[in-house]
Amino acid sequence: MTGRIFTNIAAIAGIAGLALTWSAAAQAQEFGSPELIAAAKAEGKLVFYTANFAEVEQQVIKAFNKRFPEIKVEMVRAPGGQLITRVKTEAAAGKLIADVVDHSDRALMQPMADMFQDYAPPNAADYNPEAQIAPQLWPRATLVWSIAYNTELVKNPPKTWKDLTKPEYDKLTGQVIAPSGGTTWTRVMFERQVLGEDYWAKQAATHPVLYPSGAPMSDSLVRGEIAMGPLLYNAIYPKQKDGAPIQIFFPPEGAPVNPYASGIPKTAAHPTLQNCF
Amino acid sequence: MNGQTSRRSEVMRSASEGRHAWAGLWVTVLLAILGFLVIYPILMLLLGALTDTSPVVEGISLSHLSVTNFLTVLANPNVAEALANTLIACGGGTLIAVAIGLLFSWIVVRTNTPFKGFIAAASILPLFAPPLVAGVAWAILGSPKTGLINTMFKWIGLDWRVDFYSMWGLVFVFGIYYAPYVYMFTASALRNMDPSLEEAAEISGASAFATLFTVTFPLIMPAIVSGMLLSFIVMLGIYGIPAVLGAPTNLAVLTTYIFKLTNWSPPLYNTAAAVAIILMVVTGLLVFLQQKVLSGRSYTTVAGKAFRPRSLDLGRWRWFTFGLGIVYLLVVVVLPSLALIVAAFRKFMFIRDVSSLFDARQYSLMHFYSIFDNPLTMRSIYNAVEVGLITAVVGGALAFAIGYTIHRTQVTGRRWIDVISTLPVAIPGLVVGVAYLWAWIGVPGGLYGTIWILALAFIARFMPDTVKSLSTSFLQIHRELEEAAWVCGKGMFGTIRTIVLPLARPGVIASMTLLFVLAIRELGSSLFLYTSNTMVMSVLLLDYYEGGNLGKTAAFSLVQTVLLGVLIGGANWLSRGAAQGSVARTG
Repeated sequence: MTGRIFTNIAAIAGIAGLALTWSAAAQAQEFGSPELIAAAKAEGKLVFYTANFAEVEQQVIKAFNKRFPEIKVEMVRAPGGQLITRVKTEAAAGKLIADVVDHSDRALMQPMADMFQDYAPPNAADYNPEAQIAPQLWPRATLVWSIAYNTELVKNPPKTWKDLTKPEYDKLTGQVIAPSGGTTWTRVMFERQVLGEDYWAKQAATHPVLYPSGAPMSDSLVRGEIAMGPLLYNAIYPKQKDGAPIQIFFPPEGAPVNPYASGIPKTAAHPTLQNCF
Repeated sequence: MNGQTSRRSEVMRSASEGRHAWAGLWVTVLLAILGFLVIYPILMLLLGALTDTSPVVEGISLSHLSVTNFLTVLANPNVAEALANTLIACGGGTLIAVAIGLLFSWIVVRTNTPFKGFIAAASILPLFAPPLVAGVAWAILGSPKTGLINTMFKWIGLDWRVDFYSMWGLVFVFGIYYAPYVYMFTASALRNMDPSLEEAAEISGASAFATLFTVTFPLIMPAIVSGMLLSFIVMLGIYGIPAVLGAPTNLAVLTTYIFKLTNWSPPLYNTAAAVAIILMVVTGLLVFLQQKVLSGRSYTTVAGKAFRPRSLDLGRWRWFTFGLGIVYLLVVVVLPSLALIVAAFRKFMFIRDVSSLFDARQYSLMHFYSIFDNPLTMRSIYNAVEVGLITAVVGGALAFAIGYTIHRTQVTGRRWIDVISTLPVAIPGLVVGVAYLWAWIGVPGGLYGTIWILALAFIARFMPDTVKSLSTSFLQIHRELEEAAWVCGKGMFGTIRTIVLPLARPGVIASMTLLFVLAIRELGSSLFLYTSNTMVMSVLLLDYYEGGNLGKTAAFSLVQTVLLGVLIGGANWLSRGAAQGSVARTG
């Protein structure tokens, strides 16, 4: 079953270009009633906690502000582990500041579902029900794994996941470690379930350079520290768009996809606003 | 008559009882402040290390108390490896730091090397570079595949290769950046040393270099050892440099390992707290050692009679020592700055060869536009300066109160104040952030989410540094002056206001400047305490780095460096003015 979701969403993500940010897609439609929008403007400010890449989210906020210039979005971007600690601790002390929590690790978010309000976005029908883990938590963003390589360094590029373990790419690949967050756990399980039990061992034999998260790895790829490796599409695409010597492709074996879990805490101070965000 | 005497003694006794009561109250207040700032967070940390729950989320409960975390941590081969790496990196780094620091303090204090003031300034410059910035700069220079140094070697046609993503690289960068700690200790010891013993050695026929190694260095050994221990302790707690240089080859030290544990999904805070306790124990032992050394023989070379330190005539060799100063400046300031400038202005850091390095089309202001396009950038600068100022003023005042109490009064309990105010030295910032979060989030009155929680954390964390640096200026003011004021009928506070404060002002301003710089640089303890409103520069810099954009990281590093330079320059100018003012007043 997972294989089909992988490829379907990968295709959509490919078309959408940037990280598939559903709220951005929904922006074409109306956000809600004029009363709702007026109420949101009166609140004036939104605090947004996210584990997604800061650069990508800044683009989303920019787009949002084009539509609602009078609303200020304050973003706290932290890696998955830190973000969940912050949310849990703040909530336990009754001081959760966030109006929206947007997290990549659904397994960590699910036990906290009761903390969040019942909410459905205006385009709720467009979501794949399989991507939802609790009625309160919606996949605001869905990230897709791709393979990227530096075109200045690789003359004979890989074409599949299996290619990455070829001996000729010894010490040329990079890899983000599994405990980095929800997205990496998804990729690691995909490697094991789809590519075979021995894929990890084969990978280790090519001495990949390990990275704590995807962002520094994508930068290393641009600089030529590594020549290739699996990267989340939205971590590397902005660099290709800016002109970096990078090629990205979705391998034929499938692309692991990680829907986020995002929700509005019951304690949100600006509850109307995030309905628009 | 007899009655009069007894009445007088009664008056005196009640006066002294009154003073006792005040002293008791004063000590209680100081201990209460220290308890809140230091003891309470440490207890939270210990609790975290001994349980498998978060003291805030699950509530404080002692039922889960066990040493399982500790045992798991001790049995983990990764921890053992990280501990071994830490000891090797910090040990090697300390050796280099001692060699460099000692050499330059000797050059500056004891030789006739030209432009000594300039070398003296160069010797302490690395103190102002945030470790993450230093790490990033050396990654750009020394990466085995894409480093600028290797690109240069290739261009010249040399078959040399450097690899800073290694233990050697880590040791080297540690050594050159933490040499100033050794320099500061040994330079002042050399300056305060009576040269008559050296003269005696030379009269007895010893050569200049034999004298150096058999007389001079042994005499200032306490200063060397304490500088050495301090630089070792500081390296133990550094995250930025090993994070950048160690990560690509999976070379973990304790700080990066702790950071990893807190960063993983799910995060392992309790394990991190247990690893942190190991780090605390190592540091605590070293601090204890340092105190032992310092309390031993450190001032024995300073005699009562006046002297001038001798300056050795190096002849033509003085240009060689000058050259060494230039090389050091080149390595710690010029090369890293150039690397940051290249990275900040270059669109992409893919540098095929030297001609591509000088290709003007590759350069733009893109990264600067992009960081200033982010509203967080200006806010983080504003916040950092605000936190820095609060920390400097409040922390400076508190350190003054503590230092005065420890060094200038006989009140009972001052030993405790001394010990507790030194404790934070032993706690790595990365972990203390979580401890502060656990400890202070529940404080009524809404401390969390304000600038003050950051400022309080910095005040607590840097209290040892500030108290120590202030104490030296107390030690320089002779008690006679205060006693004179008492005789003239001034009270304690009057004496402090009219005598101690004006005389110690240069020292106080210098300590506050130090506190300001440390607060602006501080990353570890800020990570858990900032919110969207109170983002500070160091956290944003890590964000840019972790966001994988070297260009933005370098651009923001330059902004931070320039800002620090301007602020330190300003403070220096102020404190010089203050020093002159106080000289004028006493003269």
